[in-house]
Amino acid sequence: MSVPLSQMWTVATYVLGQRLRGRERYPLVLMLEPLFRCNLACAGCGKIQYPAHLLRRHLTVEQCLAAVKECGAPMVSIPGGEPLMYPEIGRLVEALVEQKKYVYLCTNAILLEEKLDAGLFTPSKYLSFSIHMDGLREEHDEAVCRDGVFDVAVEAIREALRRGFRVTTNTTLFDGANPLRMREFFDAMMDLGVEGMMVSPGYSYAKAPDQEHFLRRQRAHELFRTMLADPKKRWRFNQSPIFLQFLMGKHDFECTPWGNPTYNLFGWQRPCYLLQEGYAASFKELIETTRWEDYGKRSGNPKCRDCMVHCGYEPTAVNHTFGSWRGFRESVVATVTGRL
Amino acid sequence: MAEEESLEGWAPVIGVEATLDEVVDRAFDYRGDVTLVTARGDELVGYLYNRDRHVAQPFLQMFDADGASHTFRYSEISAIRFTGRDTAAAKSYEAWLRRKAEAGSRPDA
Repeated sequence: MSVPLSQMWTVATYVLGQRLRGRERYPLVLMLEPLFRCNLACAGCGKIQYPAHLLRRHLTVEQCLAAVKECGAPMVSIPGGEPLMYPEIGRLVEALVEQKKYVYLCTNAILLEEKLDAGLFTPSKYLSFSIHMDGLREEHDEAVCRDGVFDVAVEAIREALRRGFRVTTNTTLFDGANPLRMREFFDAMMDLGVEGMMVSPGYSYAKAPDQEHFLRRQRAHELFRTMLADPKKRWRFNQSPIFLQFLMGKHDFECTPWGNPTYNLFGWQRPCYLLQEGYAASFKELIETTRWEDYGKRSGNPKCRDCMVHCGYEPTAVNHTFGSWRGFRESVVATVTGRL
Repeated sequence: MAEEESLEGWAPVIGVEATLDEVVDRAFDYRGDVTLVTARGDELVGYLYNRDRHVAQPFLQMFDADGASHTFRYSEISAIRFTGRDTAAAKSYEAWLRRKAEAGSRPDA
């Protein structure tokens, strides 16, 4: 387990506080998308297909901060689009760090060295660069549909670590992923010195260019069981071990779609980071007026049937941890022993 | 999940080819600009980013090319035409596979 103690403490006290207040639906991570523009067009991504006039637009820092305040989640993930293309990214991150929000800046790292050289960021325990890495060189360059991106990202990781930044990786897996190659990838990331890794199966975006390689649920369980079997002690994952066990098929969880709410140019996205069924004008409206019973595995909604993505199930895993002594004990055992 | 054929160029007659609800839902799902025609004959070109028909007065919202947001009640709508390019119909992954195959077949590759 690689999440720093201070971050674990912040999340634990936040979750317990929400539960003590009897709040049924509360956010854990705000997914803040300041823009849709990206410098890649990845095969499995359905996030960036918009007309040019929308790709040119972005949220203001003030809009972003207002959303963060309204939501109240202790962690803010900044995906996109490519957040390093956001002209105000330095000011936004600085303001979030000042507010002691744990920030995950999710980037493909193509522009990272340039932005580090420009002095846009200062190392902080509140800031982590979450680098998109979908495997070793061959797999990653194919996933992002461009040769050379893996090598650029590796160099950027080295440079960010050299400058004292927290660096994690985020990896999306699709059908056809080779578990043995993924184990080599985990070794390679640990050799690089990243703080921790995040893995998740990809969501079957209807708008993604490649529609043939999204993982179905059973196939995903098989892949993760093989990949994470007998995990090496040196592997560090920047996510709940209970979520990893869920991916391996060891827990039968329901989705928590409000756990990682999404805010972007259109407003608060219903119902989750992956599905776009409409937008609410405020976070309160999102929570109070979304028909949550229409979503999740048990709802029978075909769009949710095979989804096992972190943004819906990691909050469930966290709730599991803090919802019972059994859940807490399972988390502690997995964290301490490294066994999944 | 198989992607359905693009709706680019579709100009449905509401009430004949599809209901208003269906056309609005399709336009909401469409990743290109549409042209909305009001009952008064006014036209607006833009991206339809939101809609809600589960409220007392169903409405939709559009961004025009200048970034201004416009709200219309369903009752104001006469037609919606799918006039903009469908950005989700781009074949970036197929193009990548083709480029790789071409590079692989070159003697110097």
